[in-house]
Amino acid sequence: MTTTDIHALVGAYALDAVDDLERAAFERHILACDGCRGEVDELRETASRLADSTWSVPPPQLRTDVLAAIGRTRQLPPGESARPEPDARAAVSRWRRYTAGAAAACILATGAGAATWAVQEQRVRAKNTAVAAAELREARTQAILAAPDLVVRTAPMIGGGRVTVASSAQQAASVVSLRAERAPATDRAFQLWTIRDVAAPAPVDAGLLAPGEASAAQIVEGVPGNEVFAVSEEPAGGSPQPTQVVAQVLLT
Amino acid sequence: MTERGAARRPDHLSAVPDAPPGPATDIGDLVRAVARGDEPAFARLYDLVSPRVYGLIRRVLRDPAQAEEVAQEVLVEVWRTAARFDAARGSATSWIFTIAHRRAVDRVRSEQASSDRTMKVGVASVETPYDEVVDEVAGRLERRQVRHCLDDLTELQRQAVTLAYYQGHSYREVAELLKTPLPTVKTRMRDGLIRLRDCLGVEVTS
Repeated sequence: MTTTDIHALVGAYALDAVDDLERAAFERHILACDGCRGEVDELRETASRLADSTWSVPPPQLRTDVLAAIGRTRQLPPGESARPEPDARAAVSRWRRYTAGAAAACILATGAGAATWAVQEQRVRAKNTAVAAAELREARTQAILAAPDLVVRTAPMIGGGRVTVASSAQQAASVVSLRAERAPATDRAFQLWTIRDVAAPAPVDAGLLAPGEASAAQIVEGVPGNEVFAVSEEPAGGSPQPTQVVAQVLLT
Repeated sequence: MTERGAARRPDHLSAVPDAPPGPATDIGDLVRAVARGDEPAFARLYDLVSPRVYGLIRRVLRDPAQAEEVAQEVLVEVWRTAARFDAARGSATSWIFTIAHRRAVDRVRSEQASSDRTMKVGVASVETPYDEVVDEVAGRLERRQVRHCLDDLTELQRQAVTLAYYQGHSYREVAELLKTPLPTVKTRMRDGLIRLRDCLGVEVTS
């Protein structure tokens, strides 16, 4: 296989879609092609982001088993592939330098495909603010849902559908998921409430859905700590107090 | 949400929350601590990454029992080889998922070799209600960004990337499944990933 042929496997390699022989050949190739390494690392990094969408709660036994297993597993010393920790800033500028080199080298090595690199560098980071916010939200959601003390409660909604409240006292927060079978009219909206004291109820607004919206998932900080979580249907702008309660979840 | 509703939004409903409270939660820092044999750091790392490690492996393998087994191998491997993590080559998260994905795919290939994969379908359909509820809640808030970026790809790029990543197919198998020549599949995997990289804003920095 020629250098050109082997480099064309970079995408398949990053996706683990090559066989063992090709993998070995490709790894030899990148050792020899320093400029290619930046592309390989980036595509690997990108491929692993696909795991963001595969979140699933592992069985509790797994934690016990893994923690027991590491107690009897000897750790490897740093090997050849572990270089000294670079200063983050230096790493960035070094990365940028060698990206430029890699772009040139890979265009030479492979022709098509790599030519898109320079163009796409231009149109990159417009979405980044929204992306950062989404990432924080995801991280927070995961922290709550992965908490060892997570308690999940659900309650039906009047008119069909259900509300699920997954609460962690450790994280002092809940993830609330609401799915109504019937959407409210376009001038009506679901509103979320927390009620601290059932004996003398003083509902506190915990968020308002968009008018006509039938489903939502929301992080609510400070819950549990409340005894009841409620959903009501209100005029589109929301109400200071719930007028038509459609679901209640007891949290104690 | 209406303007009035937005103005009334209480402080405790945070669309963009601060970092969760508690000790260090940066995955890179935790891996470096684990490399020094820090078991409590490993437990924290476990809590942060195990849902995605397990979820990824389960997605590829389908069978929860096998997924649990492979997830355990992967997480122990993270402990064993933490000192070999190289921040110059990518993020700690990516390093962990690379190990997880490779192991899951290896399992798929060895299963194919022994061709008993279909035997596991019955087991795969067993899920606890607890899982379903939590998955549903999690799924609603997540998955948006990756899905959005996958939607940005051409049909062929998306299929080539997802058949390989989520189902563990080799590029030869993908070519066969999509009735597409091998060189085209290789190219689509590569330019599909490049487009995803740009959409997700991926950079390799430590």
